[in-house]
Amino acid sequence: MNVVAKTARLWQLRQILWTLVLRDLKIRYARSWLGYVWTVLDPLAMSTIYFIVFVGIFHRGDVGHKPYFLFLVIGLLGWQFFSAAITDASRALLMEAKLVRSTNLPREIWVVRVIIAKGIEYLLSLPVLAAFAVAYGVQGKVDFNWRLLYFPLGMIMEFVLLIGCGLLLAPVTALVTDTQRVIRIFLRMAFYFTPIVYAVQKVPKEWEKFLWANPLTGVLELMRAGFFSEKVRWESVWVGLVVTVVILVAGVWSFGRLERAVLKEI
Amino acid sequence: MVEPIIRTENLGIEFYRSRKRRLSLREMVFRQGTTHSSEMFWALKDVSVSVCKGEAVGLIGANGGGKSTLLKMIAGVLIPDEGTVTVREGVAPLIELTGGFIGELTARDNIYLTGGLHGLSRDIIDERFDEIVDFAGPQVRAALDTPFRHFSSGMQVRLGFAVITTLDEPILLVDEVLAVGDKAFKEKCYTRMESLLDQGRTLFLVSHNEPDLTRFCKRGLYLRAGQVVGDGEMSEVLAHYNRDSESGL
Repeated sequence: MNVVAKTARLWQLRQILWTLVLRDLKIRYARSWLGYVWTVLDPLAMSTIYFIVFVGIFHRGDVGHKPYFLFLVIGLLGWQFFSAAITDASRALLMEAKLVRSTNLPREIWVVRVIIAKGIEYLLSLPVLAAFAVAYGVQGKVDFNWRLLYFPLGMIMEFVLLIGCGLLLAPVTALVTDTQRVIRIFLRMAFYFTPIVYAVQKVPKEWEKFLWANPLTGVLELMRAGFFSEKVRWESVWVGLVVTVVILVAGVWSFGRLERAVLKEI
Repeated sequence: MVEPIIRTENLGIEFYRSRKRRLSLREMVFRQGTTHSSEMFWALKDVSVSVCKGEAVGLIGANGGGKSTLLKMIAGVLIPDEGTVTVREGVAPLIELTGGFIGELTARDNIYLTGGLHGLSRDIIDERFDEIVDFAGPQVRAALDTPFRHFSSGMQVRLGFAVITTLDEPILLVDEVLAVGDKAFKEKCYTRMESLLDQGRTLFLVSHNEPDLTRFCKRGLYLRAGQVVGDGEMSEVLAHYNRDSESGL
């Protein structure tokens, strides 16, 4: 199958891929020493704001699991990874136009390397999450359990989902000028369509099924499973997995179709 | 008959007349079917060429004749709309010399990155590092640890040329880059290219400079409006091209 062949090819080129990822991170940190702080600061600031709004003003901390702040941090770190990776991956071919034009590498590499770089930034932000979890844990407020093992599965699922979305979006962005604006609006809407500030279990029954179609619902269910005693909504994970695979296959297919036009345009 | 190292068959590629035209969503929504055939043109059409190992081919023709497009298709950075290109060995493209270089990073980092991007391992770059820097000249050596964007354009190209010609790829594509650089550096480039040819590499050279062409290339390929109109002995093809230019074709 096409997806398998492409993956195998990228695996052969892993050394080059790694060079590109390191370059990404190097540039990012060469520009500002706050680089790392930013990736963590944004989700933490947003967590604080949502905490104030929902707990301080509405007195509805029960829309999520308890402790609500930890619930928010997990959700917002996962979301930050998603939205930052989508934004950068959709620009991947345009930003590196010179490189894309001068090297004969499988063009998918330009998208994949952005997602890997963002994934590493996400991994680097996890110690902050661990710190909060431990802080709540010593107060006996966190129900740690063996389902923490689901956390990496959630990360892998989000990673695969991002590869698919990136491959879908990058060529379109290179061909159609307005795509980036559309993506920005879409991301803002998707934020509320994802159980980040609320838990999927708290959504009215008739609406909940719509959320299952959003693969991020399943991703966050897997990530949160180990910290809270609430049951995992497995339906959201299974549906999310199917959607993820469909997006990946569609991404690989459409990237191959649009590649030719993109190379002429950039 | 030796198997050709590069072979194109009925190669064709179509472009928009205005090259940089990017579609906007509005245009796509409100004007359906904007791709009239009048807006398209064939940058290359029915190009069938075979090149054997060790050959040195000079590409000539007026601007817009399709020379660079052909090089890019051989380099694999453009995909044909018609026909096929078969390239049986690796290609070192001297097309966008400084394409892989990042202004923010130091020259040293850039050498490793560009080398790595073209498939050289770290050890090999370590080995050749001095050779690359020597070739790029003392100015570059003195500035190895300053960001690349502080380099003069001449220094940038020199470093680019030094890195790309250090690659082991058996096919070398050169697009007009010899026009840059001062006299002394040009002489160095010539020597480097001659030694690469002596090693049996295959060369494609795009140039408007007749002495360069006759110096390096035995075979000439004349492209006019996307089609091959001359293929043979360099001097004959050049004469053909000059006759055409004078008669205003």
